[in-house]
Amino acid sequence: MKALQIVKYGEIRDSLAFNELSKPTVQAKDVLIKVKAAAINPIDKSIILGNLQGLIPIPFPSTLAYDLSGVVVEKGDDVSHFEIGDLVYSRVPQEQMGTIAEYVAVNHMAVSKKPGNISFEEAASIPLAGLTALQSLEQVGIKENDKVLIHAGSGGVGSFAIQYAKAKGAYVYTTTSTSNVKWVKALGADRVIDYKTEDYKTIVRDADIVFDTLGKNYTLEAFEVIKSGGKVVSVAGPIDENSARMFGMMDYKLPETLAKRISDQGASYAFVFMHPNGSHLAEIKSLIEDDKIKPIIDKTYSFSESIEAFEHLATGRAKGKIVIKIS
Amino acid sequence: MEELIKKIKSTLNLSREAEEYLFSISTQKTYAKGSVLIREGQRVNKIYFVTGGCLRSYCTDRNGKEHTLQFGIENWWISDYIAIHNKESATLTVECLKESSVVEFDAKKLNGIFTLFPEYEPFQRNLLERHVVSLHQRILNQLQLTASERYDLFLKQYPDIEQFTRNYHIASYLGITQESLSRIRVERARK
Repeated sequence: MKALQIVKYGEIRDSLAFNELSKPTVQAKDVLIKVKAAAINPIDKSIILGNLQGLIPIPFPSTLAYDLSGVVVEKGDDVSHFEIGDLVYSRVPQEQMGTIAEYVAVNHMAVSKKPGNISFEEAASIPLAGLTALQSLEQVGIKENDKVLIHAGSGGVGSFAIQYAKAKGAYVYTTTSTSNVKWVKALGADRVIDYKTEDYKTIVRDADIVFDTLGKNYTLEAFEVIKSGGKVVSVAGPIDENSARMFGMMDYKLPETLAKRISDQGASYAFVFMHPNGSHLAEIKSLIEDDKIKPIIDKTYSFSESIEAFEHLATGRAKGKIVIKIS
Repeated sequence: MEELIKKIKSTLNLSREAEEYLFSISTQKTYAKGSVLIREGQRVNKIYFVTGGCLRSYCTDRNGKEHTLQFGIENWWISDYIAIHNKESATLTVECLKESSVVEFDAKKLNGIFTLFPEYEPFQRNLLERHVVSLHQRILNQLQLTASERYDLFLKQYPDIEQFTRNYHIASYLGITQESLSRIRVERARK
């Protein structure tokens, strides 16, 4: 079968190659999925550039990407929730990375049936960004009438998070650039802040939740707009102490300035590691089928144009997700 | 099953033997919500008479989107007739939208009833005619009525169905988008 692989770290065009591989074998807990569509995410670009070598070590060559939709064509002995012929979507676990391929074996716990009202391409665009948004906002217990600030509303995670927060009945502030204001508003955000002409720090006051998708200065600044007792949840800022301990870094301490801001404001801070989860994807399936969340696709590429898809991803200008049609 | 026998008896004089035969080729079953009775791509040899609950038959297009062909509520029949007639694998999926009870018939044996009990034929022909009428009506409605008129008819035909269907089930039955369905509902609420 054909697959797009990373052969070394570096520039996109130099590092990627189409290779012929044998079909993956199915372990007891796996389903073998004939891939219909895959989607790419900023993390794939970071992997190619070698920015994540310490965190996610990968052998060369490795097939790229995490998101897929497709059809179950084979299943392991321990799989009872899926049948041959089921239409599914998944964010595959790290050890099974590589969705830009004709077939992928995936642990069934990371798989869910795909929403019935959207196409394979749309379904592939959902898992990684959707799980990131859902798990982050669940972590801080988002509820009706919460005032929530979501940064980068036009990104894959942001555009999903806005719709998810609205489905939960929250009041949503979001930031984006001028050209995206209109369509981000259409996602349901109550107040879209054009960061090119407005300062969000003078507009957002006493937020219950800040969802920090940007890191850098935005993590600290979150404590200027959060209410006392509010919750900042981040997928881009420093790792928090609890998560660090879980990874065996027992002596890890939050950066001092951040720790001070948290205690001064009487707020909390949590870093969320997205984890593959089929039941969360099933929850998202329901929200999509009930029309509460719509997939946002920037552009769909054919399998043979996969490298161009990565080059488009690298511009950082995509409005929504970049999808690759595999079969 | 008694309901079905009663229904058959209301239109024809069903012999004791035919009645026993019908019992012998059928099983009363109850399925949980979400159960799949017929799966696209697999062999089909069952026809279902619905005695309670609600089922849906749908096909999936090449892009992975579902299109609802039929809802099966009490006293309706549901299966993949294309697959049975053409002796092909299923192009439809039949699933339970809520807990449903059905009388399950072996398709071949159900058809065999004509040779064994010719008196059953008028009932079956009447059933088929009604099926054709409802299909023709559905095609004509699709061709000449507005989406809003089709939705009105749908609600008359399936009065309580909205409690256990999702919007996209209905939208895809009517051949419209979920947005259009929402718009129609808002307009109706305003009236």
